Amino acid sequence: MIDADYLQFILAPQVINGLVLGVAIVLVALGLTIIFGLLDVINMSHGEFYAIGAFGALALASVGLNFWVILVLVPILMIPLAVLVERLLISRVFSTKDRHVTTLLLTFGLALIAEDVLKIIFGPNTHRPDTPISGATEIFGIIIPNYRMFLIGIGSLIIGAVAYTVYGTRLGAMVRAAAYDRNMAASLGVPVRLVYTGAFAFGVALAGIAGALLAPLYSVFPTMGRDFILLAFTVVIVGGMGSIWGALVAGLVLSQVQALASLFIPPVWTEPIVFATMIVFLMFRPQGLFGKIGHA
Amino acid sequence: MLDRLTISMRASHVIALTFFAVALCFALIATLLGDTFYMRLASEALIFGGLALSVDFLLGFVGQLSLGQALYFGIGAYASALVLMQVPSFWLALGGAILAVLVSSLIGGLIVNRVRGIYFALITFGLAQVAAKVVYNTRELGASDGIIGIPVININLLFFSFSAANPLAFFLFVLAIIMGFYLLAAWLLETPAGRAMIAIRANEQRVAFLGYSVRNVRLGAYVFAAMIAGVSGALYPVLRGFVSPELMYFATSGNAVIAAIVGGVGTLIGAIIGSILIVGAKSVIGSWTEHHVIFIGILFMAVVLFMPKGIFGFIRERIEMRMIRKASAPTEAKTSDETGVAGKQA
Amino acid sequence: MKKLATTLAAAGAMLAMAPAAPVYAQEPIKIGVVTPLSGSYASIGRTVRWGFELAAEEINSAGGINGRKLVLLFEDEEANPAVAVQKAERLLQVEKVDFLTGTVNSASTLAVGLLGERNNRLVSTTVSYADSITGDRCSPNVFRFNARAEQQSVALAAWLKKEKPQAKLYLVGPDYEMGRSTVAAFKRSAESVNIKSIGEIFAPLDSKDYSQYFGQIRSARPDVIYTSTAGNDTVRLLTQMQEFNMLRNVLVIGAAGAITGQNIKALGKAAEGFVTGIGYSAQIDTPENKKFVAAFNAKFKEDPDLFAADSYGMLYAYKAAAEKAGSTDTDKMREALRNLTWMTPQGQKTIRAGDHQAMSPMFAVRIENGQFKIVSTIPAAEAIGPDVCTRF
Repeated sequence: MIDADYLQFILAPQVINGLVLGVAIVLVALGLTIIFGLLDVINMSHGEFYAIGAFGALALASVGLNFWVILVLVPILMIPLAVLVERLLISRVFSTKDRHVTTLLLTFGLALIAEDVLKIIFGPNTHRPDTPISGATEIFGIIIPNYRMFLIGIGSLIIGAVAYTVYGTRLGAMVRAAAYDRNMAASLGVPVRLVYTGAFAFGVALAGIAGALLAPLYSVFPTMGRDFILLAFTVVIVGGMGSIWGALVAGLVLSQVQALASLFIPPVWTEPIVFATMIVFLMFRPQGLFGKIGHA
Repeated sequence: MLDRLTISMRASHVIALTFFAVALCFALIATLLGDTFYMRLASEALIFGGLALSVDFLLGFVGQLSLGQALYFGIGAYASALVLMQVPSFWLALGGAILAVLVSSLIGGLIVNRVRGIYFALITFGLAQVAAKVVYNTRELGASDGIIGIPVININLLFFSFSAANPLAFFLFVLAIIMGFYLLAAWLLETPAGRAMIAIRANEQRVAFLGYSVRNVRLGAYVFAAMIAGVSGALYPVLRGFVSPELMYFATSGNAVIAAIVGGVGTLIGAIIGSILIVGAKSVIGSWTEHHVIFIGILFMAVVLFMPKGIFGFIRERIEMRMIRKASAPTEAKTSDETGVAGKQA
Repeated sequence: MKKLATTLAAAGAMLAMAPAAPVYAQEPIKIGVVTPLSGSYASIGRTVRWGFELAAEEINSAGGINGRKLVLLFEDEEANPAVAVQKAERLLQVEKVDFLTGTVNSASTLAVGLLGERNNRLVSTTVSYADSITGDRCSPNVFRFNARAEQQSVALAAWLKKEKPQAKLYLVGPDYEMGRSTVAAFKRSAESVNIKSIGEIFAPLDSKDYSQYFGQIRSARPDVIYTSTAGNDTVRLLTQMQEFNMLRNVLVIGAAGAITGQNIKALGKAAEGFVTGIGYSAQIDTPENKKFVAAFNAKFKEDPDLFAADSYGMLYAYKAAAEKAGSTDTDKMREALRNLTWMTPQGQKTIRAGDHQAMSPMFAVRIENGQFKIVSTIPAAEAIGPDVCTRF
């Protein structure tokens, strides 16, 4: 069964494609898991923030800005939007009894509105920015587009930088403290309110970067936010809500499972399988692989 | 002696009775004007109202947000459609739907009730997604096209029968069933088992001390809610003549959540009226602009932010206050004491 | 609210002052258009709407139909059959429309068709191309004015036979009812002209990444790839193939809905050379089409696509039939539409009485510099295929 042809044409490319998809999912899931880990907010509008990032990149490209400038500008521009959402919506209901449900509902409403607003501004058609790095490289007969290699590289860098910030810096220590025990952290002088707003903005900015990075690959249209969100939720749950390592491991493993499973079963069933994984995890290990941020 | 729940339910009954009267007036006026569309639209809104009622029962009393209640609505609709394609008997279709929903909700309940809170929302969401995908990919169920061409049937009630195509008769029939569900849910909450369901929300351990199995109570509430959704779903193909996988999608579950929240969580009747408001608003705004989602989204967020009890929760509170004021002055001290304790549960 | 009212009043005043507005004595003819204006098919609904609006404007400024003005009533069906049926019912029972059209996905068309039967009104589609609508699920009340999947695949297979008789064909489709039946239809058409298919793969609808299937495709070493994807799916499939250098030695062909005005800009260079069998191209060189394209461009600043042209043509069929019948009565209209021959931008079309399917000339078109260039034409009679409707 495993001859050279199979390896070269099918197995190896599948593993590499799974890796690209994995990095993409982890980028989207990172923001989601940080927001959940810190604020206990299930951000149902995360997919729409990803879409806003992609459309933002598109709009900036249309005024002639360079891709690298855009990659820096998009997350910066997302921050004020995120701060607005956090201060006007989420913090308003943060001290109510049912804040889990309430914040979920609020972000769900926000997602509905955001999708329609994108359609009003940009129209219903599909757009796609040009791939900033074109061409493909052939290694042992396996073709890898250069932009995808770049994506794996920059994705790893971003993920590493996020992990370092959270686990290796003083700022990260404050964040983890706030996640572990809000009151204790506050009494120790951590500006909890500011940390929350900052974390939310950080998560949203990450979704924005993901949108800008993935736009040339997956194209841009108003309903694109629904694309990743289910998979990203699964990754966050399997990895452990709020765990950065969890999101990384779960994202990479699940995308490989999905890529390799499609070799053996009809591809339509890979999505139900991923969901079933999420359900099984919720049933037997709802804390996920790694548990919550600040607790591990 | 009246506790807070009884007072609340009585206030709900006042709204429900008003609603029932308005619905009958509507039917009368619509019939006099020779309308068929609005009557059938109202029937559909009531059917989806059943789904919203099911969401409200779980969220408002057991404290569990289901993001996938359309699963049981869809199972009921598909089971009823499959039976009707073979035998044009409403009661057989209803029986089929009840059986299918009973079995699936027992299995589903065992799965989802392993978790609580926010995880419950996610797992119900995931379960409905998996089921919708399976239906969407199954040729025997019509796959993406669904089942189309379900015949118009006659519904036999004991002493007379009517055609499901008769808008007035079918509207009254649906109204009776959905109001029946409302009364059933309200009655159930007053029974000891229902009290145990509500108590779960406040304190699970206490339910165990009361001699109930927490697991069984949660499962019971879940199956009961699924039944309401499923039987409502079974009515859908009778009205519309087809079913499609979209009935199970998140959009359907999400609309039911919106209806329950806007109408008023924990009021039961609010969910039903909320569903009618949402269907009506979508129909009216949708004729003006294709951007109707924005309006619904803003309305929904405004209610969550500024009127967390929902429209009819707000109104009900006013009615409750009047009732409490009216309730005999001598026992006032005692009542308010009760209110304090039970209020935490409700 | 007040602002809206003022705007409406202003619009009304402008209409009243319009110089050449004919005066209509009778009740207007109402056409209900139930089409997806929001959701994932919104872009198709938009051009459907434009096609109807342009035709209605032209017909009205030329005196309407039988002296009656044509009025269009639009409803958003959100590409959800449950919503489509509800909206269609409103148009039928409240607005009392004379005719219903506009549905896009086949489930909506079938469901609204059933509603038409129950309300004794005629229904049509100008977009859905599932064979079943005028095939095994045909209805005496449903007419289709656009080409169905089989017509498209016959036209494309005939062209392929001429250009690449030795083609090794690989088929790709989205894994749902329409995607599968379209692939199956093309496979049949190709095999009937002795073109060998060497493999097929079905990817889920709305797949993010098609590159995971490229290995399987490449190891089969095809030289022609057929796709029945649409919209965003085509964009992802073709641009990702481009990324992987897979477009270099392969000819890509596909269903008519694969590349349209909705996604051609996003596709860019990846669309170049794509060939499809289709019922329309803005490049058709006839006076009727040139006039249509010019008018469409003047109004909407875009070239019309297949959906716009078929929708535009449908209103003229309605006009011709209503004038022949002398009324808009359902039974008389049904009779008048059967065997009706009328002129459209793409040439003469005829409604086949046996299954209510429009017979239209078909084209193989190739995308060159972002334009749909016609590379061959197949007469209507050759592309239509057998009538398999047995209900009437």
